[in-house]
Amino acid sequence: MSHSLSSTPRETPAAGPAPIARKNNGRRPGTLREVWQEYRRSPRGMLGLGIFLVFLFLGLAAPWLTPYDPLQDQFLADGMARPAWMSYFPAYRMDPVTVDRFLLEEWDIRTADNMVVEWGERDGQRVMEVRTTGPGPARLVLEHAFEYRSNPPDTFILQVPYAFTGEGGATGQAVIRFETADGRAYDLWTSRSLRNQVRWTTQRVDSRDMQLKMRLGFRPLANLAAELINTQGEYRVVLELTANAGEGGEALFTLGESRFRIPGKLHGVLGADHLGADLWAQFLYGTRTSLLIGFVVAVIAVVVGTVVGIVSGYLGRWVDEVLMRVVDVLISIPFLPILIVFVAVLGKSLWNLIILIALFSWMSVARLVRSQTLTLRERTFVEAARAAGATPGYIMRAHILPNVLGLVFASLVLLVPGAIVSEATLSFLGFGDPRVPTWGRMLQNAKSFGAFGELAWWWILPPGLALTILAMAFVFIGNTLDDILNRRNQER
Amino acid sequence: MTGAYFWRRVGYALLTLFVIMTLNFVIFRVMPGDPVSLILSPDFTPEVRQLLRERYGLDKPLWTQYLLYLKSMITFDFGRSFTTRQPVLGELLARLPNTLMLLGTSFVINVVVGVVLGIAMATRQGSRLETGVTGVSLFLNAMPSFFIGLLLLLTFGYFWPIFPIRGTMSVPPPTGFWPTVIDRIYHLVLPVTAVSLSGYGSWYLYTRNNVVGALGQDYVLTARAKGLTKREVLYRHAFRSVLPPIVTLIFLSLPGLITGAVITESIFSLYGIGRYLIDATLQQDYPVVQASFFVIALAVLICNLLADLVYGLVDPRIRLR
Repeated sequence: MSHSLSSTPRETPAAGPAPIARKNNGRRPGTLREVWQEYRRSPRGMLGLGIFLVFLFLGLAAPWLTPYDPLQDQFLADGMARPAWMSYFPAYRMDPVTVDRFLLEEWDIRTADNMVVEWGERDGQRVMEVRTTGPGPARLVLEHAFEYRSNPPDTFILQVPYAFTGEGGATGQAVIRFETADGRAYDLWTSRSLRNQVRWTTQRVDSRDMQLKMRLGFRPLANLAAELINTQGEYRVVLELTANAGEGGEALFTLGESRFRIPGKLHGVLGADHLGADLWAQFLYGTRTSLLIGFVVAVIAVVVGTVVGIVSGYLGRWVDEVLMRVVDVLISIPFLPILIVFVAVLGKSLWNLIILIALFSWMSVARLVRSQTLTLRERTFVEAARAAGATPGYIMRAHILPNVLGLVFASLVLLVPGAIVSEATLSFLGFGDPRVPTWGRMLQNAKSFGAFGELAWWWILPPGLALTILAMAFVFIGNTLDDILNRRNQER
Repeated sequence: MTGAYFWRRVGYALLTLFVIMTLNFVIFRVMPGDPVSLILSPDFTPEVRQLLRERYGLDKPLWTQYLLYLKSMITFDFGRSFTTRQPVLGELLARLPNTLMLLGTSFVINVVVGVVLGIAMATRQGSRLETGVTGVSLFLNAMPSFFIGLLLLLTFGYFWPIFPIRGTMSVPPPTGFWPTVIDRIYHLVLPVTAVSLSGYGSWYLYTRNNVVGALGQDYVLTARAKGLTKREVLYRHAFRSVLPPIVTLIFLSLPGLITGAVITESIFSLYGIGRYLIDATLQQDYPVVQASFFVIALAVLICNLLADLVYGLVDPRIRLR
């Protein structure tokens, strides 16, 4: 996007004596290895390569580096939660940390009277089956204890999926209870008396529920989570199941994966956005998108640019004139405004963005390849091929193309940062694909949803710095390659 | 510079203008839906629709519409905005000074800082200072211009709130000439810094590389051998020889500069043409999109043409094309 000169490979002047026509598509054995030998000696090039590999790893390993979906998983933490590691700073040491427990495997059995607990399966998910066949009352108390050592939280949320089957007049009841560190106990939810068939439902308890607050004797606008969790110590979530199977009846509770959450003000590696979605996940998947866009755009642009450059340079005359006028025209259309207009009309999809950015990026490659082709065309090996009766198509494919490949590869690398930054800019301005997580979109959200007012630097800096560093890495790699190839060209 | 060169360049510029105008027409015709249905609610009777079609010339064949469109673009008759119902031209003219101020100031700062720094560092090549300056310039050059704007906003707008975070002037505006000027400048500090920081790098790197290259040439050695001072050699020989390529940089840096200005206007909510384009696009206000894109493209085109012509003047070797 910034039309910096450092990101255009230099044109090589026609150099040295013409090489002898070679077989093997002009590639000397060991050329790649020689380039690598030389490349290894450039600290700048190796730094760029190292940075690129780190980002490549982050992008590819995203699903293993974060359990969350960048966009779907919201309310994981409080809006604009700080990164978890900020608890090492005294000012934030006591900020609530996210408690997020999946309870099915974590339940401890406190009491089991007359109840049998077994594992079963429902729709491929593991479930707990709690059964009694009587006679008389049965009771099972499950508890999950957790330590809480921070300032009072703002919210807690509990979900318990369950089903009940009562045969032969069996009845049952479920109660969700919360026991505080200072010895208070609150029944957060009491089921009605269950009989016959109660279909699979998910019971949700949310501390922001006003009816719940009033039922427990608090004001409707009270912060229930802070009322309940206000000292340090051990807290318990308790699920009490009672049943009476009578004589010969059977009561069966089925419990699914229950989840207890306290969205914290400290969360994950990079904190959370305004909706409590994980910023680290957005960052990782954004890396993926950026690299994908960068490479796909660069490949398309380089293919188009190379074909146009070779054809224009080799055929010359009116073909050259027409193609170069097209290049001139396209190059003088302001890049970002035309992209904005196109995206607005054609729709904000990732592939639209990729194709449009590529459409307006191939011209520099075409000019470069053309000028290289012009010098190659006069070399003796091309003349020899022409004298031997080779068609222009064959000469372009077999003689010109292999000799511009090095240059083309350097420009491929140098096109990547421009493409990445262009996409980020468009996303930042609100023209990105709404279904795809990108760095530009992170920054757009940060700007739109008050990250600046909150000085939420952990939200603003990572995507922007990553863009800069990744772009620089590609410039380093590209310039190093370009230098090496120019040197080799001149030595020839 | 020959007359042929001049006319050729002007011809290419006109060709480009024509292509841009055609693109601008085609894009909005390719769009699904009838332009009338975009302006009007579906409740209108077919008769009213027909009337409107006739009024806007939409009942005519496409090529007539195209000619009408070309005519209205050339005469700057951009119609009315869908959202505000005001003539687009008036709005553009009201915004133009702000955009020009932002662009002009940043451009001058870019050139002066970039070239001066480039020459200064070229003579100190390899020193610690030069390494540092080049490193910082490379970094800023790689940084997306919108992120530079965001960093400035975060640092000097929110963390140390010493500069305004949005707008072109205070609300209510100050009275009197000098207070107004000062207020305008105060609001321009961050945006101009943002555009300059993202743009000076290419000027710096280009100047430095070219001067370094020139200093290694034989004629510079000859000049030194003649007994000229370092200063004289630097400015009268080395720098003069890199002047033509630096002039071409005007041509190369403009699209980037305008891009940076469009984004910066949007970040700092400046009342300018770039933000007009973005806002209108987000609101699907097509007459405004069409007009502001046309104006921006026209400006780039004119600057490119001027750069080409000046280049022809500066470098006498340019005669061929």
